[in-house]
Amino acid sequence: MSRNFLLTLSLAVAALAVRPAEAQLRVVTSTPDLADIARQVGGTRVVARSIGQGYQDPHFIEAKPSFVLDLAKADVWAFVGLDLEIGWMPLLLDGARNPKIRPGGAGYVDVSKAIPVIDIPTGNVDRSQGDVHALGNPHYWLDPANGRRIAWLLRDKFTQLDPAGASTYTDNAKAFEARLGAAEQAWAADLAKIKAKPVVAWHTSWRYFAVYTGMNIVGFMEPKPGVPPSPSHLAGLIQTMKRTGAKVIVMEPFYDRKTADFVASKTGAKVLVLPPSVGGRKGLDDYVSLMKYDITQLAAAVQ
Amino acid sequence: MRSLTITVVVALLGTQQAAAQRPDSLRADSIARARADSIRIVRELEAMTARPAQQPRNPRLLPDISAVGDLIGDLSPKGSTQEDGSRFGVRELELALQAAVDPYFRGDLFLGFSDAEGVHIEQAFLTATALPWRLEARLGRFLAPVGKQNTTHRHDLHTVEHSYVVQRFLGEEGLKGTGVYLARVFSPLGFYQELILTAVDRIGEAPEDLAAVEPANENLSGLGYSARLRNYWDLSEAANFELSASAMTGVREQPLTQGVDLDDQLVNAALARQTTVGLDATFRWRPLEQGLYRSFILQGEFMRQLNRDPENFPPPLGLPDYAGPRRDFSGAYVFARYQVSRRTFIGGRYDWVQDPEAEGVSLTAGSGVLTFFPSEFSKLIASVERRSLKGFGGTTRLLLQASFAIGPHKPHPF
Repeated sequence: MSRNFLLTLSLAVAALAVRPAEAQLRVVTSTPDLADIARQVGGTRVVARSIGQGYQDPHFIEAKPSFVLDLAKADVWAFVGLDLEIGWMPLLLDGARNPKIRPGGAGYVDVSKAIPVIDIPTGNVDRSQGDVHALGNPHYWLDPANGRRIAWLLRDKFTQLDPAGASTYTDNAKAFEARLGAAEQAWAADLAKIKAKPVVAWHTSWRYFAVYTGMNIVGFMEPKPGVPPSPSHLAGLIQTMKRTGAKVIVMEPFYDRKTADFVASKTGAKVLVLPPSVGGRKGLDDYVSLMKYDITQLAAAVQ
Repeated sequence: MRSLTITVVVALLGTQQAAAQRPDSLRADSIARARADSIRIVRELEAMTARPAQQPRNPRLLPDISAVGDLIGDLSPKGSTQEDGSRFGVRELELALQAAVDPYFRGDLFLGFSDAEGVHIEQAFLTATALPWRLEARLGRFLAPVGKQNTTHRHDLHTVEHSYVVQRFLGEEGLKGTGVYLARVFSPLGFYQELILTAVDRIGEAPEDLAAVEPANENLSGLGYSARLRNYWDLSEAANFELSASAMTGVREQPLTQGVDLDDQLVNAALARQTTVGLDATFRWRPLEQGLYRSFILQGEFMRQLNRDPENFPPPLGLPDYAGPRRDFSGAYVFARYQVSRRTFIGGRYDWVQDPEAEGVSLTAGSGVLTFFPSEFSKLIASVERRSLKGFGGTTRLLLQASFAIGPHKPHPF
């Protein structure tokens, strides 16, 4: 009897010993890029998941009630901001009824506050300009410099909410930065191939990527942000591509490839479907892999 | 002067030579310090550029102001089927004012403007945003959470009009209530559930031409009460299903066979309890990668209206008898919509209802709907409907709708 008791006790102690450290912070993000960087910075002290998927248009995520359950338990809600999530975030935050992650709550993290934003419209802004982002272009994660800023912002937030993990978060942020720095050195030659090469992009989501890589976006498939291409716009775009020698059309997987193929057939260009976010293609499960894939694919395409 | 220059050059060379003779460890320390300083400076510069002197977005703390226009055309072959007989009309303009009131409440005001009703309060409610236990409380006027379609603004429907069961049982524009709303989200079984309870001043609007001996809300049992239980499941990444049940009860003024004069007051109605129960199901499919271009929704609702005779009827001889509904009614609809391109959707709806306005005679209608969205902020609908009242023949209706929204971007309805 006592032997059985000791055995049971030993098993219980062993089970407790191998139990992973309890996650301190529940982090929910709007995009998988933010979720991955949160995991890199938070390590085992956070559990992070994303509402959106990498192959999904982040403007048009459905406010499904199942997301409400995740947000109801979240300690941190980190989102891109600049109105990228305006079409669905308010419904989810209202539904979650979680004061910690509502505006003004300690866990409400508008990541754009740490970003030097580009494409901020000047003058009068109205919807005749398309689905314009009045606060600036929200697709900033496609510049590694902003990837670093996101990491340090999340380090600060995690440290504020979980001071006991401060050194872990700082070490992890440094490690993330080091990994990114090493990867940048590795793809430096590819950047040189891309620099100044004329390309066409579907949406303004590649503007930060262009700033980083030096690719020269000579036109967009969309006549205005969020507006589907019209025949007259495509006719003008084809002329622009012929004039500038643009041989690559960069687009996300969630747009209509047939239209891009049509333009490519008229110009001899290549359609390059690039994932704009982590998980946008099988195997691209982290931020550094995503950037590496996009840069190497583009470098090969513009040759 | 020349000797001074030579001296300085020699001194500099000497310094350089001395530095070159430092041990490697000292040089490494120096490089590390320089790197650290450099990183610190970069961080400071980044902090400066990352946080420019930002102006508040809304320094006057004004609420979000938005407006929706809802325009209707009725090109039915045998004349307009609109209540006012118009062929083209502005069905409603809605002005919305929304803002946080303080750290604890949000305020939402929706004012309606229409030729028929003038200016009226569509909705006006205060929402408590800081309650514990996943509770949400509202106080004010709101869309009654009875059935699925009734919780959607009419201009946001996938069809031009509400289904006939909603129109006949809850009202042409749906049912609103003024009172208290309490909702709680929970998931003890691993899926999303929400229970919504309301207590409102009355069910439906007070009829202008009916007066009972006492107001419907004289006793607390005469108020309107509703409960709705939502159940939601993700079937896959692209598909989901919602199955919900609703019930609402209250007393309403129902007509008598004739009016009587009681203490100089005309009484032509009796208070009778009316209860509506319903079940609704919605299946949605939208692939994540091609969600801009393809989606499908299948929705159905069933409702049953239970009418109870008022107390003390039939009356003693000589007094007017009860002329309100003395039977129960049922109704349902099924609606489906498929997205054929980024901006174009086709759909259809079948309606059946035992029409309370026709003593329960079956009303059936089948309609086809073509919807075009020029953008997220405008919508054009063309609808053809064949409606029949059993024994009274049928009517063909051709309806057009244009709706638009101006102001801040609103969340997409789900």
